[in-house]
Amino acid sequence: MELTLKQYNTIRLIIVFILAMFIGNMIVLKNYFLPLILIAVASILLFSLRKKVKGVLADERDYELGGKSALLAMQIYSWTAVVAMFVFLAFSDINPVYSAIAQTLSFSVCYFMLLYSVIFSYYNKKNLKDRRFVLTAFILAFFLAIYLIAGIYVFILK
Amino acid sequence: MKNNIKELRQKLNITQEELAEKAGVRRETIVFLEQGKYNPSLNLAHRVAKILKTSIDKLFIFD
Repeated sequence: MELTLKQYNTIRLIIVFILAMFIGNMIVLKNYFLPLILIAVASILLFSLRKKVKGVLADERDYELGGKSALLAMQIYSWTAVVAMFVFLAFSDINPVYSAIAQTLSFSVCYFMLLYSVIFSYYNKKNLKDRRFVLTAFILAFFLAIYLIAGIYVFILK
Repeated sequence: MKNNIKELRQKLNITQEELAEKAGVRRETIVFLEQGKYNPSLNLAHRVAKILKTSIDKLFIFD
């Protein structure tokens, strides 16, 4: 069975919608394991559906737009997070949780910028095919992600 | 950047869909190309020129 690009996009939208609904509910119910399984299942499902799509899914124009959009999204997020961080810090006397939120926001901005720099450097040096660089970047990103999650857990959930 | 893609495509009786399929891009990319709203990579420009049986310098008008 072959799928058209339109059918694939519709199915993808439905899957993402259902997934977001489930994850939201599961987090409210404090069930953190099921969302991980659901994300894995949805990824496999989307990957298998993607192979059945007839025609070109994405071309050079999409990649160019994707790059520009990602950069703009990162810039908007960074500035918004920085402004929000100062607002939360200003009101931290009212509620000490605000200080923790501000700290998490600042860490997330740092993480995004670092990740962006690492990925940019990777693509910049891609022709060198330096596998060690990619591995180092992955390990760095992995530990930073754990650090961020642990930070959120310690400051907000505890 | 202006181009002669639409004229040459119509001359050869090729639809946008067919040109997109042969060039390995989406139809929207051909639409944007024809309208001069997208500057293609050298690779894509070469492919389109080959499909339309012309050369890059005849296909695109460099101002």
